[in-house]
Amino acid sequence: MMEPQHGDRPHLPGPSLYPIAFAAGVACILVGLIVSPLIIAPIGAGIAVFFGYLWARDATKEYRRTPAPIEPEGAGTDLVTAPPPPPEAAMAEPEPGERFPRSRFLEASTLGLGAVIGGLVTIPVIGFMVVPPFKGQGYPTVDLGPLENFPEGKWLITTFAEHPDQGLVSHRTVFVRNNGLLNNEPSFTIIWNRCVHLGCPVQPNGPVQPDQKKVVTVSKIQQISLTPTLPAGGFGCPCHGGQYDPEGNRTAGPPVRALNRYNYSIVNGRLVLGTPYSVSHVDGTGKDARIHAYKLAGPGMHVDGWEQIFYPVQPPH
Amino acid sequence: MAVAPTRPKKSPGRQKLEAAVNYPLDWLEERSGLIGGLKYFLFRKVPGDTNWFHTLGSATLTAFLVQAVTGVILAMYYKPDPNSAYQSINHITNDLTLGWLVRGMHKWGASVFIILLFFHMARVFLFGAYKYPRELNWIIGVFLLVFGMLEGFTGYLLPWDQTAYWATVVGINLNGTAPILGPFLADFLRSGAEIGPDTLARFYSLHMLIIPGAIFALIGLHLYLVVRLGVTSPPWSREAAGGLSAGADYEPERDGNGRAGLTQQRARGTR
Amino acid sequence: MASIDERRAGFKQYKEDVKRRGKPFFPYAMFHDTVMSLVVVCVIIGLACVWYFTSSSDPNACKSDWGSCTLGPRYAEPADPGTTNFVPRPDWYFYFLFYLLRIFKWPDTVILGTVGIPTILLIILLVIPFVDTRRERRLYRRPVAIIAAVLVVVSMGVLTYKGATAKEALASEVVQAVPTWAQRQGFADNKDAVAGATVFASSGCTACHTYLGTGSSNLGAPDLSAIGKGGQGPAFFSQYVTDPSKFGNNVMPKFAALGDVKLHQLGEFLSASKGPK
Repeated sequence: MMEPQHGDRPHLPGPSLYPIAFAAGVACILVGLIVSPLIIAPIGAGIAVFFGYLWARDATKEYRRTPAPIEPEGAGTDLVTAPPPPPEAAMAEPEPGERFPRSRFLEASTLGLGAVIGGLVTIPVIGFMVVPPFKGQGYPTVDLGPLENFPEGKWLITTFAEHPDQGLVSHRTVFVRNNGLLNNEPSFTIIWNRCVHLGCPVQPNGPVQPDQKKVVTVSKIQQISLTPTLPAGGFGCPCHGGQYDPEGNRTAGPPVRALNRYNYSIVNGRLVLGTPYSVSHVDGTGKDARIHAYKLAGPGMHVDGWEQIFYPVQPPH
Repeated sequence: MAVAPTRPKKSPGRQKLEAAVNYPLDWLEERSGLIGGLKYFLFRKVPGDTNWFHTLGSATLTAFLVQAVTGVILAMYYKPDPNSAYQSINHITNDLTLGWLVRGMHKWGASVFIILLFFHMARVFLFGAYKYPRELNWIIGVFLLVFGMLEGFTGYLLPWDQTAYWATVVGINLNGTAPILGPFLADFLRSGAEIGPDTLARFYSLHMLIIPGAIFALIGLHLYLVVRLGVTSPPWSREAAGGLSAGADYEPERDGNGRAGLTQQRARGTR
Repeated sequence: MASIDERRAGFKQYKEDVKRRGKPFFPYAMFHDTVMSLVVVCVIIGLACVWYFTSSSDPNACKSDWGSCTLGPRYAEPADPGTTNFVPRPDWYFYFLFYLLRIFKWPDTVILGTVGIPTILLIILLVIPFVDTRRERRLYRRPVAIIAAVLVVVSMGVLTYKGATAKEALASEVVQAVPTWAQRQGFADNKDAVAGATVFASSGCTACHTYLGTGSSNLGAPDLSAIGKGGQGPAFFSQYVTDPSKFGNNVMPKFAALGDVKLHQLGEFLSASKGPK
């Protein structure tokens, strides 16, 4: 079944290959989403759309038969004795020699233009709704103040503003402990206080000294508040009973991994907070800890074990 | 309109009054058909044994309308920005005239709405009013339940106090644990990787525009189906319309080919 | 299961019955609707009034006095993403889902509680009309429906209640109970025991243990109100808390970091906890 209008040399693959090519296109999309969303996925989309169209056109060929002609009502026709009119068709039979009757063209172009209008309006709107949450989601560095504010071996509840221009909504809290020197560099344990079950604020299992709170002004718009605490029993979450040890490992309850931690750097004798990352578990304590680190994942998402297949891709952070 | 065949003759004054009232209604009816529609809705027949349980649906609608009206009024004073939301709620509750009442009605109306939703659903379920031909209505009702609870969830964030903020953190992260698409759904709801200033605006838009729009549309469909398909009698009623007092022993009369088709019911009184 | 023909016949019969013997919606049914709507509006207004007049504009005023704030405060403190002492809770109609999350406290099962069970329940709700195609509506002939309805109501009620009463002990709140404990247990004159009670209250012990009605037993730890009755003495308890694994307890964390002074005070407190007088 070759396309007659293209003459003897068909340059499209035979019809039975269309479904296979379509499936290949879909597979290409899926692979591209994981490997290279910007290049391979659109190529796959193009292949899928092109061969999908050819397949659909081929499959519906026998249903697109020409419609029956409309009998016009004659002026002198006796309505009682006239035969019942044949089923009205939407389109007139094409004239001999005419391949695309005008009404069919009008129908197709009306629907097509409608689709274009729909797309023109919807795509920017949907894009505006969906794309901004995923762009520019970084974690800026935060200067937490001079190292002298972090005595060795002491835990401090440290609260700072991640984006000072946004105000109170960007306040974050981390538990910071100075572990002493490791290879002549200060070593810190910096644990984020968001529980990794469902994001509730985790509390230290130990006395807190709010009367010894210190507020350090590091810049015109940034103030760091430091409160000493002694989380002897680790940390606990008030929402659903998750419990962690002082290194952030989960000891009881529903949390699916250890507490998230922050990267840090020492710049000019000041502790500078970097980007957060996720931790499956920590072996050892303090400066000798071996942290099994993963890309930052949301609360409730496993980073290791068999359930990590549920969360293959994380949105950009 | 009573079914009584005879009425006392009306006095000329009354006739003139009725003509004056009817004139604009007829004008409107001739040009739109709306008055006829309204009359059909008001005076359509319903089974005579409908009881108080059947009022739960309209009670839910009333609660929702209270929410809609109080919500629109609150929107005139509420400021959906993290730096001023809490203060505006404070202002509404403590300073503005009757602001406490409108906010209180909105806050408690939400709970009453949800309770009535569940009561109405239980009533429909126990009356078997989800069966043919009302299956579509039941499905629309389930969607209304989901949207109603989502409306409560999105509205809970708006006062921007501690309870609001943290309940929303947990709720969004709950969605995030769904496989594969969960993290993206969570980021979409939060408008970012963490709750930020855009989150409140997004939830406000959801709470004010998107979800109420969907609820209004679904309620319209739901009511249309109720009017079209009719209201069921209580299942314990003796004179139940539809005759299902004889339901379980319903034996269709079959023709020679064993097909039941549309048959006559047996006379009532046989069990 | 009734065939579609039988169901259509039933509906046709219904329409004829209503046409013959039905009553107009207005005023017969609409009257009931209007009365019920009035009740609903009055209930909403009544709740709003009680809520407003039993609370104050200070969000913290409700915590101290149990008589006021019958329906809760007007608002809580402003949102603080950096807090470490707040106990999050959803709105009351989500308590059943909230408690479901506390039931599934093993990490591998978390996804069941968060999305698994709610999704399954929603799907069941949606397909009810397609699973039950009988024409039967009389309740005494629908045992499955009755049992399902009773189970759903009871379980949602129990889950909601347990969600409402699930208490997580915030250190700042538990500490306020220390004088009451001292009085009830009779160690008010033992300075070390009172200090130990404060350490106990602020170290998260009540996240796993219950003590004189405070705390949570969600994770299976024993109640400590009368733990000192056995007469083991303060030193035993100090050593236990320092390293529970030495006594065969590998679940409880080691509290060695509290330091000798605090551990000694804890030991005194636990030893003096012989049960309320």
